[in-house]
Amino acid sequence: MSLEKITDPRRMRHWLGHMETDYRYTLGIAGERFLNEIKENARIMGARCKRCGVIYVPPKMYCEECFEKLEEWIDLGTRGEVYTYTIAYVDMDGNRLAEPVIYALITFGDAYGGLIHKLGEVKPEEVWIGMPVEAVFKPPQERKGSITDIKYFKPAQ
Amino acid sequence: MSDVAIVGVGCVGFKSIMPELSYKELMFEAAVKAYEDAGGIDPRKDVDAFVTCAEDYWEGFSIFDEFVPDQLGAVLGHLFTVSGDGLLGLANAYMLIKTGHFDVVVVEAHSKASDILTFYDIVAFALDPIMVRPLGGNPYYIAGMEMHRYLAETGTTLEQCAEVVVKNKRNALANPYAAYGADITVDQVLDSETWFYPLKKLEVSPLSDGCIVMVLASERMAKKLTDKPVWVEGVGWATETPNLETRDWCRAIYTEIAADMAYKDAGITCPQREIDFVELSDLFAYKELQHLEALRLCRYGEAGMLLEDGVTTRDGDLPVNVSGGCLGMGYALEASGMQRLLEAVLQLRGEAEGRQIPDAEVGLAHTWRGIPTATGAVAVLSNIKE
Repeated sequence: MSLEKITDPRRMRHWLGHMETDYRYTLGIAGERFLNEIKENARIMGARCKRCGVIYVPPKMYCEECFEKLEEWIDLGTRGEVYTYTIAYVDMDGNRLAEPVIYALITFGDAYGGLIHKLGEVKPEEVWIGMPVEAVFKPPQERKGSITDIKYFKPAQ
Repeated sequence: MSDVAIVGVGCVGFKSIMPELSYKELMFEAAVKAYEDAGGIDPRKDVDAFVTCAEDYWEGFSIFDEFVPDQLGAVLGHLFTVSGDGLLGLANAYMLIKTGHFDVVVVEAHSKASDILTFYDIVAFALDPIMVRPLGGNPYYIAGMEMHRYLAETGTTLEQCAEVVVKNKRNALANPYAAYGADITVDQVLDSETWFYPLKKLEVSPLSDGCIVMVLASERMAKKLTDKPVWVEGVGWATETPNLETRDWCRAIYTEIAADMAYKDAGITCPQREIDFVELSDLFAYKELQHLEALRLCRYGEAGMLLEDGVTTRDGDLPVNVSGGCLGMGYALEASGMQRLLEAVLQLRGEAEGRQIPDAEVGLAHTWRGIPTATGAVAVLSNIKE
């Protein structure tokens, strides 16, 4: 143990540092096809395991359950259901957001998994677990092969 | 195979901020206490291996494991770092001793969270960079989503979640190692700012600084080093899936699997009857209830009622988080599980002072690695050798 400790807070010094980290994340075979389908065809796709029959969304190259390679692709449509949601009122620094943001897990029929995304064109108090929703895509010329090519999900008609 | 005992503990903190000590000095001070507590061992010659627990991004270092030997007395020694919670470090130390090749092993975990200027950005960096991160926002929204589904499915109420905060912060008042003790009401919790509906600000464990070091020993050495060994009866750990989309949003599956592994190791067949008290992860208030169910200490969806009936208070039949939990001691990053373990050791030694649980013989320590993980660990401890 140190016998001499700092007792004057004005003597406490800090050194400020910054970790700069830029990455290029490879989408991979499944990720690239999934996002390309959104970009080119405004379609949400799943991948089906031919051994256990499970349909994954987002699609993967392999089955989590049986470790089989996934090669069969299925169009899931653009409508899903709110499995759970939250209304975010604070930002990255814990400060109040000007407008709350609704995040939800959207599931698609019997497919295993879903998409984490935002909800739009709906007031927070009007959302409910189980609510049918549909994807709102950006215009084709603005889509760049990102999950944000889907602007948000809105209540389905 | 030798039995394994915890023979020394040292703790510095926990406080909302400890600006007077660097992370190395925090570790040094906790280590000095632990070595003294373990019969005054000399780390330069009496310790066979060291296990530290840290995550590069929390520390602000690349390859942080290179920065830990000197402050523990481990230079030129046998050391490795687990990129995970302190309870995973305990599991590793336990296994090292079980091999028969190691007699004395040191485990360390710390938090210098107050050094992190952009905490939520680091958490956001743990999200899938392609499918989730581009959505932006404070990543704790995931806790709000999970809480919402858990409440909807189990019928657990907002009041029951708020009651967890009241209980744990009150427990923390009696714990000198706790940073956030307070005497508050359910209404104060429910009236606090909504951060991620239905999650309230006061239901989120605030960060804290501190360090815990523990000395583990084989049965042969334990008898030489202490007259109050606390036996590690079983350890378990599990990860469900990293994918938010395919994980269970209601049940803490990772905890169920980790608990089953630890119970099997410890020979526990009826946890409800055999375990006297529990320390578990309450990083968010609802997690205490969800984890209590996952540890099979009550049926799924019934933890809220158990709490209402007073079963989990300090003088109840199954005290939970007498230390104050993460809500009371502060969320100490990878040292969170060590906080739980520390309380279990102190209770089993009869050294928990004003918060001592009478006649405690078997305790459970549990941890969860926080947002966005589905990873947990469990240790079962006893002051009676089987």
